[in-house]
Amino acid sequence: MRQPGRWHIRAILAALFIGGMIAGCGQSDDASSSEDGKLEVVATTGMIADAVKNIAGETVSIHGLMGPGVDPHLYKATKGDIDRLNSADIIFYNGLNLEAKMAEIFRQMGSSKTTVPIGDVIPDSLRRHPAQFEGHPDPHIWFDVSLWETAVQQVAMTLIDRDSARMDLYCQNASAYLDSLDALHQWVKEQIAQIPENQRVLVTAHDAFGYFGRAYGVEVEGLQGISTVTEAGLYDVTHMIDLLVERKIKAVFVESSVPRKSIEAVVEGCRSRGHEIVIGGELFSDAMGQAGTPEGTYLGMVRHNVNAIVKALK
Amino acid sequence: MTPDIWVMITGILAASALGLIGSFLVLRQNGMLGDAISHAVLPGLVLAFLITSSRNVVPMVIGAGLFGLLTAYLTELLSQTRRVYSDAAMGIVFTLLFAVGVIMVALFAEQVDLDQECVLYGEIAYTPWNTFVVGGTNLGPRAVWILGSVLLANLGFILLFYKQLKISSFDPQMAVAVGISEKKWHYLLMTMVSLTVVSAFESVGAILVVAMLIIPGATAYLLTSRLHTMLLLSVGIGIICAVGGFMGASYFDASIAGFMAVVGGIVFALVFAGTLIAKRIHQTRYTSERQHIAETISG
Repeated sequence: MRQPGRWHIRAILAALFIGGMIAGCGQSDDASSSEDGKLEVVATTGMIADAVKNIAGETVSIHGLMGPGVDPHLYKATKGDIDRLNSADIIFYNGLNLEAKMAEIFRQMGSSKTTVPIGDVIPDSLRRHPAQFEGHPDPHIWFDVSLWETAVQQVAMTLIDRDSARMDLYCQNASAYLDSLDALHQWVKEQIAQIPENQRVLVTAHDAFGYFGRAYGVEVEGLQGISTVTEAGLYDVTHMIDLLVERKIKAVFVESSVPRKSIEAVVEGCRSRGHEIVIGGELFSDAMGQAGTPEGTYLGMVRHNVNAIVKALK
Repeated sequence: MTPDIWVMITGILAASALGLIGSFLVLRQNGMLGDAISHAVLPGLVLAFLITSSRNVVPMVIGAGLFGLLTAYLTELLSQTRRVYSDAAMGIVFTLLFAVGVIMVALFAEQVDLDQECVLYGEIAYTPWNTFVVGGTNLGPRAVWILGSVLLANLGFILLFYKQLKISSFDPQMAVAVGISEKKWHYLLMTMVSLTVVSAFESVGAILVVAMLIIPGATAYLLTSRLHTMLLLSVGIGIICAVGGFMGASYFDASIAGFMAVVGGIVFALVFAGTLIAKRIHQTRYTSERQHIAETISG
């Protein structure tokens, strides 16, 4: 049980804090950089924050808004996030409507600080457009590693632009990071090649892997659409079961930021029709793993996904 | 002005506008209307998207506004048949509209992120940066303008038609007897509620709207039985929620809208407990007095 005395301390701290906040309102506002002269950088997704860390290292202070397991559509900013956004020198975001209404705010903030939608550099011809609606591209660009490289270059360019004194360092780090992304791209291709061609079907809960499928020759079947508001319909589930039974697919996958219920219904359905199917593991889709684990970095996340897919479908 | 001050002003404007109009919902036992509208606007959003093929805020708000009105009107039509109670009527109307919306998304727009969360609900935390710029001059946050106008409209509506609203809310039969159309005032009130709710959704998001539409009015209702006192109290309570919630969110680094709603819940609980205790004290005093009198008489 909590000691009663601690509440008093908290209350006093709160009062002091509020007092300080009101008194300090005028000054905190226009402090654009932290005291040690580091650029303050905020990134929306973990993948972008990871790219900034790799390129700038300790020379900037980087904060990622959406933590592990967070569905970007459901992300809610805290008061601290707002302060960090307000004091940031550079804000990187994915763009292509991943951040929904928040992107509008970033556009407006662009008049007073550098805000960069890194996905915007991807040429229109390389974006995946849903069949019915032009102009509303799929935002999950990070699962095609070569496409992500384009976006990462945009991060590097922006950093160099804002902090030209460290140009050499940024260039060096960026080219090293891009090399490792190149290697990763090749590695993914090799890994996927190990799966028999007719088995290259990736079944997940929502369509986050469209770019992955296109880049590495994997058929992607999502149970529900891009949006996470509609749940999988009965028709979707039966249709999916038919496909799995017919093609004798060995595994389906769940995602870290989407509930696993509907995909479990598919597994049950296949089983009742005599086709044994397993859940091939959890894939990271919209968010990375816990910080400090290998999956907490972009490279580790992609490797984890590919290993899980290859192991289950081979 | 600093962003923090703007957020607090936005919260105060939202809470006051919603608290005022929501007090009438509390009196008419229509408290869940805000929640119902939050679901029922989905088909409006899909229609607006299909017509304009854009997810811009203007078509979205128009679509949502129309379906907000539709929810209130259909509920009233259905309950006026006197074959279902108004809460059941509301339950039927909003679930039906929401379900139609979900099916429309599945049929026509599955490949596009289209839901309230994505295209309609604002976030109070971002209001300082979502500014209104006319001819190159920055006129301050858009939400402050929108909610300020909504608050003025609500104030004007209530002040101008105070008598009609009061009689039709408290005593519909009396209203009819003195020639005030209960139906007409109900529809007008519901129109104001729908417009207030939808524009507040767009400015500050759903949690805050649903909470501030009810909690200030319901809390004020515990404290008074006079309408004008209730309205004033609801605004005061709304302001406490907005300022207290902002400070709490700052201290705990949490969601601002969430904390404002939580403070609303705490204020309600305190007032509720306070009125219970006051009643108990009153009763004990009363019984002990009676005992005393009884003892004096008998003995």
